[in-house]
Amino acid sequence: MNGDAGLPPVAPAAVTIAADPLERTIARLLTAGTYGSVAVLAVGTAMMIASGVQPLGGGPGFDLGRIGDDLVHLRAAGFLWLGLIVVVATPASRVVASLIGYLRGGERLMAVIAALILAVIALSVGLAIGLGA
Amino acid sequence: MLIVLLLIGGGVAAGLFGSLLGLGGGILIVPLLTLGFGLPLITAIGVSLVCVIVTSGAAAGVYLERRVANLRLGMTLELFTAIGAMTGGLIAFLVPERFLELLFATLLIYVALTMARRRDPSLEFDVAADDPAIEGGDDDDPTVTRLSGPGYRVRRIGFGLVGRAGAGVVSALLGIGGGLVKVPVMHVVMGVPLRVATATSNLMIGITASAGAIIYLLRGGIDPFVAAPTAIGVFLGATLGSRTAHRMDIRVLRGLFVAILIYTAWQMLQRGLS
Repeated sequence: MNGDAGLPPVAPAAVTIAADPLERTIARLLTAGTYGSVAVLAVGTAMMIASGVQPLGGGPGFDLGRIGDDLVHLRAAGFLWLGLIVVVATPASRVVASLIGYLRGGERLMAVIAALILAVIALSVGLAIGLGA
Repeated sequence: MLIVLLLIGGGVAAGLFGSLLGLGGGILIVPLLTLGFGLPLITAIGVSLVCVIVTSGAAAGVYLERRVANLRLGMTLELFTAIGAMTGGLIAFLVPERFLELLFATLLIYVALTMARRRDPSLEFDVAADDPAIEGGDDDDPTVTRLSGPGYRVRRIGFGLVGRAGAGVVSALLGIGGGLVKVPVMHVVMGVPLRVATATSNLMIGITASAGAIIYLLRGGIDPFVAAPTAIGVFLGATLGSRTAHRMDIRVLRGLFVAILIYTAWQMLQRGLS
């Protein structure tokens, strides 16, 4: 039971069926999003260490409007939040890519499912903002 | 600087252990951050969800490239997982922390017992082809056909959807991927071969954790100063684990892991009951 998200063990033989274009695109999107976000987080962490921040003292709150300014002024918080946004958005971007792929391929049912997943994610955002306020 | 390095090191250990034993880091990250670093449980859960997404993303990319994961089945099921995760994420901010601690302790005991009874995990990747559970299907429904894959036919989709919603709630409430629920339901109940169930679960975990993490992020439940070093550590540990899994004696590691889980469950119980 490889229950949670662990990287796949190398030992078992891989199923070698040729990947379909949509799955290949999504695989690359996930890989790029993951490696990209980890790279941005690493930059932010290095800047955090360089500036002598105490991580257990409580980090800056999430403020979308400040991220751009923090990035421009090379503040660690900007890179950390950007990396975290990419982390959280990567799975959703995979659903967007699926939606586009299924629409192009004429798979209406799967396109509807992808759209509903995005609607649930949008509802999560709406509820979190609404309840936070 | 020392604390950052300790967070990275803790993340590496959690990711390595999780990867070697076929679990995500979530089950270890939450106790590490609460019991080891004294962080509030809600912050630890938020950070854990971030780590779960990172490890899931890398793994799911590989699984999809190899065509082990079933994208259509995963997307159909994750719609319900996402609804469950959204619900769980909202509940987490409403219930007392003590309740979450007791729930987490229960989860740890369950995982410890499951691990203690488990055979060699490496064998599990090869059972699917001969598994009687994968034989047959419900009917000739074209939707079922579309969701099935080479060599197997999914069944009891309705039950699977309900199971997914439950897995989503647990995931967002406790900061885990939820694969502990998803994989058995998919394999035993729905007749999906274990290797495909594992890969598809990994794919779905990203959306499950993401739906929960969004709520934590926007409600101040994710501390970037803790999340970033921990996530980097988990990513490095999981990568290392995936490359060394076949060289390790998993039995010894599993015994150690069970002992750690029981000790952690005891600590968590004490916190919850104090």
